[in-house]
Amino acid sequence: MRLRGYLIGKTLWYLGAMVVAVGLNFLLPRLVPGNPVDAIVAQLGRSGTQAETLERIHRHYVEQFGLDQPLWSQFLTYLGNLAHFDLGTSFASYPAKVESLILEALPWTIGLQLPAILIGWLVGNALGALAAFKGGLFDRGAFLSSLFLSSMPYYCLAIILLYLFAVALPILPPGGGYEYGTTPELSIPFIVDVLRHYWLPFFSLVLIFVGGQAVGMRSMAIYELNSDYVNYGRSLGLPDNRIVRYIFRNAMLPQLTGLALSIGTLVGGALVTEIVFSYPGIGYLLFSAISQNDYPVIQAITLIIVITVLVSNFLVEVAYGFVDPRIRAAQAGER
Amino acid sequence: MSDATSEVLLRARGLRAAYSVDAGEVVAVDDVSLEVRKGEVLGVAGESGCGKSTLAAVLSLTARPPLFVQAGELEVEGRRLDLGPDTSPPRTWRGEVVSLLPQGAMNSLNPTVRIRDFVVDIVRAHQPKAKRDEAIDRARERLEQLDLPRCVLDCYPHQLSGGMKQRVVTVVSALLDPRLLIADEPTSALDVSSQRVLIEMLKEMLARDIIGSVIFVTHDLPVLNTIADRIAIMYAGQIAEVGATREVIDRPRHPYSAALLSSVLVPEPAIRRRRVTGIPGSPPSLLNPPSGCRFHPRCSLASETCRTEAPPRAGDERRYSRCWWASRHPDQTVEVTA
Amino acid sequence: MRMVRFTPRFWISLAVFSVVVAFGVFGPMVAGDKLGEGVGGLYDPPSAQAWLGTDDLGHDIFTNLMFGTRTSLVIGFVAGAFATVIGVVVGLLAGYHGGRVEEALMGVTNVALAIPAIVVLILLSVALDFRSIVTMALVIAITSWPWTARAVRAQTSSVRTREHLDVARLSGAGTWNILLWDVLPYLMSYICMAFVLQISSAILAEAGLSLLGLGPSDSVSLGIMLNWALVGESLRTGAWWAFVPPTVLLTLIAFTLLMLQSSLDQVFNPRLRGGRRRPGLASLTPQTGVGLDVRGEEGGER
Repeated sequence: MRLRGYLIGKTLWYLGAMVVAVGLNFLLPRLVPGNPVDAIVAQLGRSGTQAETLERIHRHYVEQFGLDQPLWSQFLTYLGNLAHFDLGTSFASYPAKVESLILEALPWTIGLQLPAILIGWLVGNALGALAAFKGGLFDRGAFLSSLFLSSMPYYCLAIILLYLFAVALPILPPGGGYEYGTTPELSIPFIVDVLRHYWLPFFSLVLIFVGGQAVGMRSMAIYELNSDYVNYGRSLGLPDNRIVRYIFRNAMLPQLTGLALSIGTLVGGALVTEIVFSYPGIGYLLFSAISQNDYPVIQAITLIIVITVLVSNFLVEVAYGFVDPRIRAAQAGER
Repeated sequence: MSDATSEVLLRARGLRAAYSVDAGEVVAVDDVSLEVRKGEVLGVAGESGCGKSTLAAVLSLTARPPLFVQAGELEVEGRRLDLGPDTSPPRTWRGEVVSLLPQGAMNSLNPTVRIRDFVVDIVRAHQPKAKRDEAIDRARERLEQLDLPRCVLDCYPHQLSGGMKQRVVTVVSALLDPRLLIADEPTSALDVSSQRVLIEMLKEMLARDIIGSVIFVTHDLPVLNTIADRIAIMYAGQIAEVGATREVIDRPRHPYSAALLSSVLVPEPAIRRRRVTGIPGSPPSLLNPPSGCRFHPRCSLASETCRTEAPPRAGDERRYSRCWWASRHPDQTVEVTA
Repeated sequence: MRMVRFTPRFWISLAVFSVVVAFGVFGPMVAGDKLGEGVGGLYDPPSAQAWLGTDDLGHDIFTNLMFGTRTSLVIGFVAGAFATVIGVVVGLLAGYHGGRVEEALMGVTNVALAIPAIVVLILLSVALDFRSIVTMALVIAITSWPWTARAVRAQTSSVRTREHLDVARLSGAGTWNILLWDVLPYLMSYICMAFVLQISSAILAEAGLSLLGLGPSDSVSLGIMLNWALVGESLRTGAWWAFVPPTVLLTLIAFTLLMLQSSLDQVFNPRLRGGRRRPGLASLTPQTGVGLDVRGEEGGER
């Protein structure tokens, strides 16, 4: 089956990309001359960490990552650790392990991003298609606002929303995942509290994502509206709702591809949004890690980001292969 | 081929349609009237920009913005339809009464839909209760009748060759047994043998009464020579001359027709795409057409009247020439310089 | 040179952008020495001495804004230029040579595209001890050249088959010569648009990095101002003058550049003007007479 060829091709390609990504994740920081541990320890020293702790960190790191050994052996150690999901030990929160920090923060991030992607994609595409069909004033308004929103960086909207709804008009809390001082528990008041803190970060992601999807879908729908097969179908008496279905299916295809690209941007944007709202997700963890030069945490987070983006792109491409009959033939070299 | 006594299938009167552009209005079809008898093939010939494709769109009821139909009246087998800016033609007329065989059949099939599903959609659009299998069977029968492989129904468009797509589109356009099939440049993108196959298909469909009549729009005069019973020559949005094929080709009565004919070196279907040398000047802008007769700036037989007054129709409904010279010389033919 | 008609959108976006550039270029010249000067208390609201108030170190925010705009613009231009040049070179070579060269170059490009930019940006920036403006620009350019390369390759491929290239090749011109004089002119309009987009994305990338705390060391940029605003808790205390101005300016720059790019698109592709018009209307009013052309175009006449 041609589809199989397509799937195998994609799988191989993504595995390759994954290898490159892991390699880069390992290599990039080490490209800088000098022993990174010394530099980091020196910086930690500048920020006042105790000499004893510094020594321990230094020894631990050198040991764990075999820094006195050649580069390729370090890479193998790195891979070995990864295989055990051992992402190392944090510098700043020594001796906390990186995995535990990440596992604490991950659910918050996923809770923010996943619904944003799904809802944003559905609403955005529906809005774009609607605007294309209705035309007129609705189209103008929807198009301009979508264009404006989609060109804004995620953190800009985050800041604007924060200011408008948490400072100028204090309707919603200005930050955090939940009220300071309360302990997480599975109770209704807590859940309500979490939701209150959820809205602003969520909307600052979703609005922009919707904008981007709407603009894309609208262009695609307009393009399809003017295509020959639509004209032909109409000339044979096909009713509008059938034509709409054709257009939707065909316009969706490039939108799926666009989704793959958008996910990459959203993931990056979501991180910074968390920072603006002090939302206790991976982004915020990254922010504090950077300010404390907590190397292992930074590296672990970037690795997770890369893998997530690559995996989601892979899934999107697989879905595309199932939806578009032309691609299956083209990929396997048939014409 | 039909004879002079078969009934009239199409009567189109006063068709007028214009494109709305930035600079104003371009009237691409200006007061065109046509008559087509049952079993007849009417060829509509002219150069780029003469309005023949617009005419095809108007007749097949597929005009859409920026093209607006401003006036006109269609009568097909007794059923009347008034056209205008505020009226929208009934959806079911399309495909059932009049049907379009589009230019560029290559792209006319939805790339993500199998042919058989498309057929089902079309049939259901006119008979909502139709069963899926019935619709597919009907298409299968039709394919057999016209000597096409039945398996194309299971294919996606990209799996078919260009010529096959053209034939499939031809079958689909005629699936609902339309009374009038309007073919818009169907042979333009085809090689010679495919052209022949298509023309044979059209003739076959006419013979079996799958379609009532054909209006064949093209710039390719030699093709019309082989298939058309009558020819209408269009210039600048109007019909310059109309008549039986042999009459128009052998004894043209409009200077423009003569000029067109003199551009066809050898009238054989095998020879297509001749670049013409000869008529000075250029086709007029339809935004601001010339006064009087539209052809007068380039006509070697032009007189004073031609510049100021629109020419009358010289002749009868079935054979006329819109020309001052023709009205003054009722039985003469314009010289064709070959 | 083709006749190009500039649209109102082009002039408006160009004007707005020029104002921003002027702000960033002339502002610092006027207020050169006031940067870093303490003009008031911490987070003073706007007043006559400090038009946009002060930040958490008592510095004048308006001055910061001017210098910040300048830094952001400089990084944007330099990074945009780097990225465009790299992208164009890679795209040209891939599109022109085809075959193995194209496969190899595009393979690299596609992998580079798949890896999220933010990751590379973070990893590189963290590794650097001192981040100068030029270094930052380089780092940003390294992550943003791929999409330009891909687009340029597509354009080059379509130009490759044109006849005048064969003439050039036969007359012995070298590859670079051909690329420069015969291929590049066709791509100029596209490269202009790509450059504008690159500037925009570079400015935003720098702002994002700076917000994370990985901005150019020892400088002010719009993103760095946001970072300070975050770290100094101005969001919480409601000191809006600390974060609203840089945000407004960043959004303004992003949107204006996007408008500029889309207006260039309109200028170079007049078909797109007027929204939903069908292409092909031009054939209705034929240009000049070549006599009677009965041929017509394949599938294009109306």
